[in-house]
Amino acid sequence: MPLQSVENPNSRAVAQPANDASERELLDRIARSRDQKAFRTLYGNYYQRLSRLLARMSVRREDIEEVINDTFWVVWTKASEFRGASQLSTWIIGIAYRRALNALRRAKLRPVADQPFDEDSVSVGSSEEDETNQQWLSLGLERLPVEQRMALELTYTLGHSCEEVAAILDCPVNTVKTRLFRARETLKQVLPQLAGMSGEKS
Amino acid sequence: MSPRIPDTHAEAWALLPWLANGRLAAEDREWVEAHVQVCAECRAELAAQRLIDSHVARADATSPQPAASDEQRSFNKLWARIEAAESASAPITGTGSAGSPAPRTSRTVRWLAAAVVVQAIGLGALGLAFSNGERGKDYVTVTSPVGGTRSNAPAVTLVFSPGTSISTINTLLMHQGLSIVAGPGLSGNFRAELSPDAVASGATAETVAAVMSKDPNVSLAEPIAR
Repeated sequence: MPLQSVENPNSRAVAQPANDASERELLDRIARSRDQKAFRTLYGNYYQRLSRLLARMSVRREDIEEVINDTFWVVWTKASEFRGASQLSTWIIGIAYRRALNALRRAKLRPVADQPFDEDSVSVGSSEEDETNQQWLSLGLERLPVEQRMALELTYTLGHSCEEVAAILDCPVNTVKTRLFRARETLKQVLPQLAGMSGEKS
Repeated sequence: MSPRIPDTHAEAWALLPWLANGRLAAEDREWVEAHVQVCAECRAELAAQRLIDSHVARADATSPQPAASDEQRSFNKLWARIEAAESASAPITGTGSAGSPAPRTSRTVRWLAAAVVVQAIGLGALGLAFSNGERGKDYVTVTSPVGGTRSNAPAVTLVFSPGTSISTINTLLMHQGLSIVAGPGLSGNFRAELSPDAVASGATAETVAAVMSKDPNVSLAEPIAR
């Protein structure tokens, strides 16, 4: 698979084939020799990324570690079964996504107040307007159904392609487009600046 | 009004998020960019998508980062779970499975031996405790404390480093006034409670957990909320 050019102006970590090759080598060492060092490195490559993604999916703080460890339990036990049909990152994030859905379902059954991600985290802005937009965006994101939010976060927070998002969510590419289309419509309703932009008709 | 073919417009519109994040495949990028050049509606939408992109990226960049110590602690829990599971399924002959390095196998066997002894103590205590109360019905997760709450004594969850001898474990417990009352759980975790004497001398689950967590023979020590 040729390396795709990534022109994203933001400095986020983006899953790329170059990373995939080195991570597959780690997985191979885990599968062949149960290499703890390789496992620890792979765990470290994903811990921060998954922690933030799960927090932004409103997975409760106390469940995040369990979701990550359940995910890497699967990575450890199924390392030899990974056939490489998809990128390693889509496999791992896809496992985490399904574990997160289970955690969210379980959390709904518990009579405990929801603990969405820290609102303060989006209150840092370079100007008052920026700050307001960030807060509006946070509110908009919280209104999205989890499937739509995940498609949006995978696209923008982690910088995945449409095909990769489809592989992670285990759904057709067109379903990803539809979910993101609906998410975009919802965000426009809550973020005045976006509504103004889309109001410019041709 | 810009000239546009309806289907092309709809397809380009759907792909704009990936034009904004730079991950559109080359063969699509060419025609989507060409369409955006002549379609003001898509240009405005692309600007909106880039705004969402930058907002989401900034929210992510400013969100609280887990500490490195959290990552290590979390990994230790997972590794203890793996060790416990592999010890349970490992052959006791000590010959090891194919591909497993010999030192790891011997460590596993030593850990298994220690775990069996401590498990016997724990099971005995658990049996006594169950005989006086109702068995807990809650689903127990990997990170749950082992066993139900059967006393009001301050308690901690402990995971010992693989290879720690039973005498070392006993010494550690004795110094802190702790007794194991349940375990090991799925992740090799034990529940230990403070003796009345230790409580009377000012020890709490938090202070004991803080001391235990600094010991190299302990990979996890956390107070259990009462």
